[in-house]
Amino acid sequence: MKTWITRSAFLAAMALGLAGMPAWAQGSGTFKYAEQVKLITMDPQKQSGSGVPFLRPAYESLFEKGPKGETVPLLATGYEVDGLNVNIALRKGVSFSNGEPFNAKAAAANINRGVKLGIVEGLKTVDSAEAVDEFTLRIKLKEFDPAIINTLCYTGGMMIAPAVMDDPALDRNPVGTGPYVHSKGESREGEVQVYTPNPTYWDKDKIGLARYEVWEIPDDTARLNALKTGQIDAGNWLSNPQAAIIDRTPDLKLIRVNGGLNYHVVISDREGTVVPAFADPLVRKAMALSIDREGFNKAIQFGLAAKSFQPYGPGDWAYDPSLEGVYEYDVEKAKALMAQSKFPDGFTFDMPSIPVYQSRLEALAGFFKEIGITMNIVPVEPGTLARRSRTTDFPATNLVWNTTTDPKFLALRYVYEDANYNPFKTKPSETMLALAKEGLTSVEPEVRAPAYRKMAAQLAEEAFLIFVTNAPILIGVSENTAGNPTVVYRYGEDSINLRGLKAN
Amino acid sequence: MTARATDSGATRSRRPRWLAGGSFVIVAVAAAVLALLLFLAIFADLVSPYDPLTQNLMDSLQGSSAAHWLGTDDLGRDVLSRLIYGCRIAVIAAAEATTIALLIGVPIGLFIGYRGGWWDWIVMRVVEAIVSIPGIMVAIVILALLGTGLHKAMIALGILFSTSFLRLARGVVLAEREEVYVRSARVIGASDSRILLRHILPNIAPPLIVQTTLTVGAVLLAEAGLSFIGLGVQPPDASWGTMLSTAAAYMDLHPFLAIPPGIAIILTVLSVNLIGDVIRDGIGRGITVAARHDTPVARFEAASAVEPSAAALPPLRPDEVLRVEGLQVTVASQDGTGVPLITDLSLSIAKGETLGLVGESGSGKTLTGLAILGLTSVALRTTHGSIMLNGRDLRSLSQREIQHVRGNEVAMVFQDPTTSLNPAFTVGSQIAEVLRAKKGLSKKEAWERTVALIDRVGIPRPEERARAFPHELSGGMAQRIAIARALSCNPSLLIADEPTTALDVTVQQEILDLFRDLQAEFGMAILFVTHDLAVAADICDRISVMYAGEMVEMAEVGRLFARPRHPYTRGLLTAMPHASDRNPPLPTIRGNVPRPGTWPAGCRFSNRCDFRIAACERRIPLTGTNRLVRCIRAEELSLEAAQ
Amino acid sequence: MLRLVFRRLLALAPLLFIVSVLTFSFTSLLPSDPVDLIIGDTGTQEQHEMVRERLGLNQPIVVRYVQWLGRAVRGDLGNSFFNSVSVTGAVMQRLPVTLSLTAVSALIAIIVGIAAGVAAALRPRSWIDRLATVGATIGQAIPNFWFGLLLVAIFAVNLRWFPATGFTPISVSPWDWLRSVTLPAVALGLSSSAAIARQVRSAMVGVLQQDYIRAARAQGLSARRVILKHALTNAMVPVVAVLSFQITVLLGGALIVEQVFAINGLGTLAITAVRQQDIPMIQGLVLVMVGLVVIVQLATDVIYGFLNPKARPS
Repeated sequence: MKTWITRSAFLAAMALGLAGMPAWAQGSGTFKYAEQVKLITMDPQKQSGSGVPFLRPAYESLFEKGPKGETVPLLATGYEVDGLNVNIALRKGVSFSNGEPFNAKAAAANINRGVKLGIVEGLKTVDSAEAVDEFTLRIKLKEFDPAIINTLCYTGGMMIAPAVMDDPALDRNPVGTGPYVHSKGESREGEVQVYTPNPTYWDKDKIGLARYEVWEIPDDTARLNALKTGQIDAGNWLSNPQAAIIDRTPDLKLIRVNGGLNYHVVISDREGTVVPAFADPLVRKAMALSIDREGFNKAIQFGLAAKSFQPYGPGDWAYDPSLEGVYEYDVEKAKALMAQSKFPDGFTFDMPSIPVYQSRLEALAGFFKEIGITMNIVPVEPGTLARRSRTTDFPATNLVWNTTTDPKFLALRYVYEDANYNPFKTKPSETMLALAKEGLTSVEPEVRAPAYRKMAAQLAEEAFLIFVTNAPILIGVSENTAGNPTVVYRYGEDSINLRGLKAN
Repeated sequence: MTARATDSGATRSRRPRWLAGGSFVIVAVAAAVLALLLFLAIFADLVSPYDPLTQNLMDSLQGSSAAHWLGTDDLGRDVLSRLIYGCRIAVIAAAEATTIALLIGVPIGLFIGYRGGWWDWIVMRVVEAIVSIPGIMVAIVILALLGTGLHKAMIALGILFSTSFLRLARGVVLAEREEVYVRSARVIGASDSRILLRHILPNIAPPLIVQTTLTVGAVLLAEAGLSFIGLGVQPPDASWGTMLSTAAAYMDLHPFLAIPPGIAIILTVLSVNLIGDVIRDGIGRGITVAARHDTPVARFEAASAVEPSAAALPPLRPDEVLRVEGLQVTVASQDGTGVPLITDLSLSIAKGETLGLVGESGSGKTLTGLAILGLTSVALRTTHGSIMLNGRDLRSLSQREIQHVRGNEVAMVFQDPTTSLNPAFTVGSQIAEVLRAKKGLSKKEAWERTVALIDRVGIPRPEERARAFPHELSGGMAQRIAIARALSCNPSLLIADEPTTALDVTVQQEILDLFRDLQAEFGMAILFVTHDLAVAADICDRISVMYAGEMVEMAEVGRLFARPRHPYTRGLLTAMPHASDRNPPLPTIRGNVPRPGTWPAGCRFSNRCDFRIAACERRIPLTGTNRLVRCIRAEELSLEAAQ
Repeated sequence: MLRLVFRRLLALAPLLFIVSVLTFSFTSLLPSDPVDLIIGDTGTQEQHEMVRERLGLNQPIVVRYVQWLGRAVRGDLGNSFFNSVSVTGAVMQRLPVTLSLTAVSALIAIIVGIAAGVAAALRPRSWIDRLATVGATIGQAIPNFWFGLLLVAIFAVNLRWFPATGFTPISVSPWDWLRSVTLPAVALGLSSSAAIARQVRSAMVGVLQQDYIRAARAQGLSARRVILKHALTNAMVPVVAVLSFQITVLLGGALIVEQVFAINGLGTLAITAVRQQDIPMIQGLVLVMVGLVVIVQLATDVIYGFLNPKARPS
């Protein structure tokens, strides 16, 4: 039946014509998910930061994560690595929801577009992509990249219909191969995005819903109320008072999804262009020491997190137990370091903030104040923190790092001179650069792990990334959702797998 | 100052009445609150128990305790200390924004008011444009330009509120300019601008002070609002708005966080507003002319109610429509005892008769008319006497019954037709309304009857005039309408309260003729209240002369004019030729009518009377039968006059 | 009456024009380059120029203004800088939300304000007068968003009578709409109720002393009719003037109260636009708000003319 549709252009066109008819859809019922960040764009290759739940219904990536974090094929069927070439076999019989066929040409166009846009950081190692034959895609790497397949599990591997790639309205009109299609007519900007079954979907059995809605509710309390009143079936939360309330409300459940959110402060201006003090490692170490991570976890994250001194948590292969406690809260030592530094009288800097991080930053400001550092909190629009953090607008920023991310991204994000979150283009130290290179020599975690453990130690030493806490990804769900066997939480992602999801 | 005096004040402005009514305490408290605020703002470092930014994450969201009187917030910071430091922000915010508003608004306003021309035109259009955008939106847009933060937010608010100062300054300049222009036109050579400047300063100060207090209150609320939505003061700095912003996130877990900053804002704004009200009233008193005398009394000392004496009553007549006996009206005074306004008043009117009630203003004539209708204001009470209308005592009737009597049996025509007709409705509808309510006529019937009535009172094109609004009619025409309305239900008694006084002399005569005509046709009795003896002589059958709340003389009109027996009546008659100029100082009677409560104990006219003797110190009864007079020397004086 | 409307509409055009010039030139002064905000520092020079051209920012401001105005008069306020959302669409989508909030709160303010003002005016210095006056004075000092928080804590969190957050469109469920709009509207309308009550009271006290009220009573019309028809109609004349201003205030207040109740209205849109420095959105929002205010003024002018015949053009 799959081939039947794709082979017949006529039938495909007919299917398109019937796209709006529910009779064609196989699913029934509605599932409503609430997203905590505002929708910025539905163009996966322009998307930075969170907001993946808006994309998953309409877009599918070449690969995805299995229940244990392993990569499994989705739009691909397999791959082989040949030096700097990665050959990917593509699924046949798949078409985009606008009728265009999905093939190697389309996939190559996608990868090349992503490379050109330069926003998806995982594609930074990619030189270009090309179609070997109709269903074989070849990705040419600039350098060896053990995490390229990992990249293709997320936005970097999401496939956009080639016809709409240059459409400036793509940000609100996603066209992909996903089980659902975006319904612009029923969506309300800034409020809810509505998705209906994709009549041309390649795996119809996996369409379990007649309608899927992603609600945009940035207000934590409002999202909690929506969950309580049944307005939504599930939603994502950071570790905050509302998540704590969900955890203690009897008929709600707080799901701790695999993978963690590592909250950390980034000293972007580490050469002291704007804030000279940031060039002094003593200052950065003092800042790391001044944070009472336990208190932070208790008061700000309601005990839902754990203190953190490195990018990974216990259980992750790149985690180094010996770093535990390296910057244990010690305000006296911090003060001593400040006194030794070239800035004994302290200094002032600006820190971007979005509402969900407001209390975190207030707490950090309180810690830094103890050692004479004044941190001004500058609000930026929710959803733009990541983007603003890539600019020189702020000498420092605060971000969340997903611990399921391959450690090579540490370098891609923060270390390399052209790293995304290195807006001041600081040159990395020789040691750091060498370790980053060493981590890329193999695909085997056991081989790579020592390099990354050393890199974590080096990061601690240079202290331009100040790790604070590590919290699991939190999804709050209603009782019904908790009891729904078709609800599968995506590994390391704050969304629910839509393939096969049925209504409660 | 007594309670009475504030009464008239309260009707003048929006000031809460209770404020000046002995609520000095509240003003004192408000001032104390502001003083405390200022004190805390200045000495925040010394007063507050903790550093407002020192956090203790292990002790977050604590309730009230000995260590933390108002508990701690989400980061374990002391709420009380943050509240105290918030005072500082509030004071800075209010001072900064208000100063900016003043500095921008006043000079520009003065300038464009002075320059006029296209400067004025352009600036005023811009101001209009800004004012037409919701204030908070203006502030938000300005903040987009400036970025967030306390001082930037205050600049935004300063710009926003400068428009009101600008308009105020411009208004003062324009008003003064007019005046100076008129004056300098007479004194050639004087410099306009110098005179202008000299006049503007004293005139602009009072409204500026008022506007400033208004602005301070508004700034405080706006600052809190902007900080609340994250565009004003930035955390971790403690402002009341940011504290509320934090509290909003913890409403489920620790709602108390919202209480202290909220109360602080309310108390401060309330105090500023209250003080502003007081200043406004204080200044308002200085600017506006003396308050209208809505009540006949403004000042008095408590005086005991006068006992009605067994005085002479008007003779009983068979066709009497109205008979008032021993009427006494008092006004409630501060100490609870009533001060009399009318005492021992008796009169009667027969069918088709016109009784004139004559006297100077303040003698109680109009009040008598209202007392008959039972329409005196709330503070006044009819304490004694009977009011018999067609054989029924109106005083014994219920509200419902007297309401039925009004309009049907007795109606009233007021002095000024332009104020006695409701400006919001067409004159025809006002007559028709009475007909429908009192006679139960249908809409159509009522309208037809209305047009007929308007025609009857001598207005040409009645159908068209019925659709006119009061302001579209001349005074004479409006009074005809008022008469038509009064007569619409064919009452047996018409009370006409100075119905011609507000009209031109030529129109006066027409209206008097109309009264005569209508009386001939409908046969109603008329109580004609006037201060104008010439008018009274024209229309009345008998005349009662009132003085200081009592009747001093009553006689058939010809006899009264021929031989007045009371010295007061004589005085009035002597003054008559001048009375026609509508401005009735009575030159031959020295002094004024004494105010109620200050009446002489004996003869109330004694202090103005040329014939006063020792015996006048006693209460003088009204004597006589057909002709009544209240003077112990009446006999000798009438003899004297006759000679 | 039609002439009045027509005349006001004529006066409206220059006002909107000035507002548009003001906002346009003002927003063009914004300190940061929107292109930087859109593509971030990592963008190439080429991308920069591309975006700049797409947004038309490479043209002089006067040209941009004329183009924008040309589209605006046709109802097209351009697109957001940050996504392909049309400003007109975004504003129109939020408009019903803010409008229902403003309208319901105006209704509450008018009803409560008039009732309290009349009750106070009828019995000056009585306990009800004192209560109303004290209430009005305090009511004007209470920040609407704080009152909103309080209402949420009491009626939503504790009593669970109303939803704490969110907004249900009236088209979805009128009953849920009413429930969702009640608390924010009460919070928003409080200070306007107070202002209107004060105005009604003082106007009413003044009117009740007028001769025509006494004259109406003297004609034997019932107290009820005299107060509700004769007195109130006249007392409303100054109140209507205040009302137009109060509705403008309510519209502004809605921007903040929406935040308390997490309502997705014009306020949320405005705050987002300001944070993002989304110029077309800010311009569009200001223009639409001025349009609303002008419509309200027009409506109140008509009512004013109806209540006060002297103000009608003859």
